[in-house]
Amino acid sequence: MIAFEHVGKRYGGRFEALANLDFRIERGEMVFLTGHSGAGKSSLLRLIMRLETPSRGRVLVAGHDIAKLHAGQVPFYRRQIGVVFQDHQLLFDRNIFHNVSLPLEIQGVEPREAARRVRAALDKVGLLHREKALPIELSGGEQQRVGIARAVVNKPAMLLADEPTGNLDPQLSADIMGLFEDFNRIGTTVMIASHDLALIARLRHRILRLRDGRLVADEGAA
Amino acid sequence: MKSKPSTTPRRSQGAAPKVVKTKRTRTRPTSAAAPRPARTQGPRRSSRLRAWGRHHRAMALDSLQRLVRTPLGNLLTMLAIAIALVLPAALWLTLDSARLLDAELEESATMTLYLDHGVSVAEAGRIDEALHANAGVISTRLIDPEEGMAEFQRSLGLEDALTGLEENPLPASIVVRPRSVEPTSMEQLAAELGELAGVEEARLDLAWVERLRHLAELGRRVALALGALFGLGVLLVVGNTIRLAVESRRREIEVVMLIGATHAFVRRPFLYSGAWYGLGGGLLAMGLLTLGNHWLSLPVAALAASYGASFSLPALDFLGSTILLSCSTLLGWLGAWLAVSRHLASIRPR
Ligand SMILES: Nc1ncnc2c1ncn2[C@@H]1O[C@H](COP(=O)(O)OP(=O)(O)O)[C@@H](O)[C@H]1O
Ligand SMILES: [Mg+2]
Repeated sequence: MIAFEHVGKRYGGRFEALANLDFRIERGEMVFLTGHSGAGKSSLLRLIMRLETPSRGRVLVAGHDIAKLHAGQVPFYRRQIGVVFQDHQLLFDRNIFHNVSLPLEIQGVEPREAARRVRAALDKVGLLHREKALPIELSGGEQQRVGIARAVVNKPAMLLADEPTGNLDPQLSADIMGLFEDFNRIGTTVMIASHDLALIARLRHRILRLRDGRLVADEGAA
Repeated sequence: MKSKPSTTPRRSQGAAPKVVKTKRTRTRPTSAAAPRPARTQGPRRSSRLRAWGRHHRAMALDSLQRLVRTPLGNLLTMLAIAIALVLPAALWLTLDSARLLDAELEESATMTLYLDHGVSVAEAGRIDEALHANAGVISTRLIDPEEGMAEFQRSLGLEDALTGLEENPLPASIVVRPRSVEPTSMEQLAAELGELAGVEEARLDLAWVERLRHLAELGRRVALALGALFGLGVLLVVGNTIRLAVESRRREIEVVMLIGATHAFVRRPFLYSGAWYGLGGGLLAMGLLTLGNHWLSLPVAALAASYGASFSLPALDFLGSTILLSCSTLLGWLGAWLAVSRHLASIRPR
């Protein structure tokens, strides 16, 4: 599904945020990405989302070198990826329902069908009863679950999450990770950056460990 | 990966665009791994078109609602646009009426053949007859010396001053209406007729017609230059307003771009805002023109009357209004387009 081939990423010409990354992630895998702050976890995810392009090497997604996508194709590529952010990137002037339906609006899904899918996604994260609420009326954990609902509402084949539990207490974090496991169980490839080592260790999935932009360990590969 | 063989046949879609191909390969296995409702396999064209139309409608409405939400500021923007439009529009209207005047002048464009002093009335009649044979001549009018004198006196208001003259100094003359009123062909005709026996001189009084033409041409160019300049002003006004709007919705733009919005999708609401500004400005400009017309029509009519003429200020007709509104709407749209495009390049999702 995802293959990094000797990927390096420099910012501003000199600083090397990622160096010589070489690994594969198979379809339907669930992978944690961990490492100290500044290790390059976000940079790695941004490469997959094609928010950045590698300075060297290639990132292949489903066999295609995504650096070769031209500007007009990138939006359509991004629609295939669900992304969850630590600060969940919700729009505060729209209610929960409309936040979650945003990807479907962008894709021009017919409104009735969109509403059905939004409710299904909200149901999945247990927030169906809050669809009319505004994001600020929700707790941090609930906001994050809205972010997850938005990421999965168009049933992406791949789900990326950058420190999705960064601001949450252990119980909520475990709930959120449980949600990701649910999506993985129905076939979604999931990649989660996190430095919550205790939680990750308990979940028994493959772990990619970064240090100063280098892959230092690849544990528990399925 | 074991789902691959079973689904491979569905994949042979020839030379589909790369992204679409990427999408298919990636979507398939998940839906095969677990029975889910089938994902939109790249919506068909008609449904894409409908979605496109839906988004256009939604954005047209949404941008209108945003305008209405802050009426004062937006009204000021439209007023600025209107003011920029009024001057060139007014000048254009004036020129339009001057063009009508010009047409009238052409109607009356004539030349006068002054005959030799010795030419008798009968001879003058023969020359007049001969002129009719000329293809470049539409009609003629013979003026004998007495008539000429009477006209001359009347035009000067000197009924009696010349009556004391022993001899009528004026020759007989023939006023010729030429077929073509083009300056060069008129000059040619004058030269030709001037050579005729018994004709002393063919005089062509084109100077004032020419002068008026030059003046109209000057006015046209000034109007065009002003139009371009003030059009640019409209672009700037709309562009700046839209720039601020984009800035205030920056986060929203970043988020939607992050989840796969195309530039066209992001641009659309702003383009509609720009178009609304332009349309509003155009309507206000029409209002201002009407107001100006009422304000000036009385003194203008009085002035014209004092010259013994009747002249009313030109007003925007249906065609004029349509042109004004389309131009202003288009300018607003274009201003928004420029502003958003310039800005989108600088917005990168974080
Ligand atoms: N856009 C950028 N420009 C310059 N340096 C960057 C940029 N993004 C990240 N970095 C640097 O790259 C390194 C890795 O950052 P990041 O990928 O955010 O790490 P992590 O997510 O693991 O904390 C850090 O040293 C960071 O300062
Ligand atoms: Mg990070």
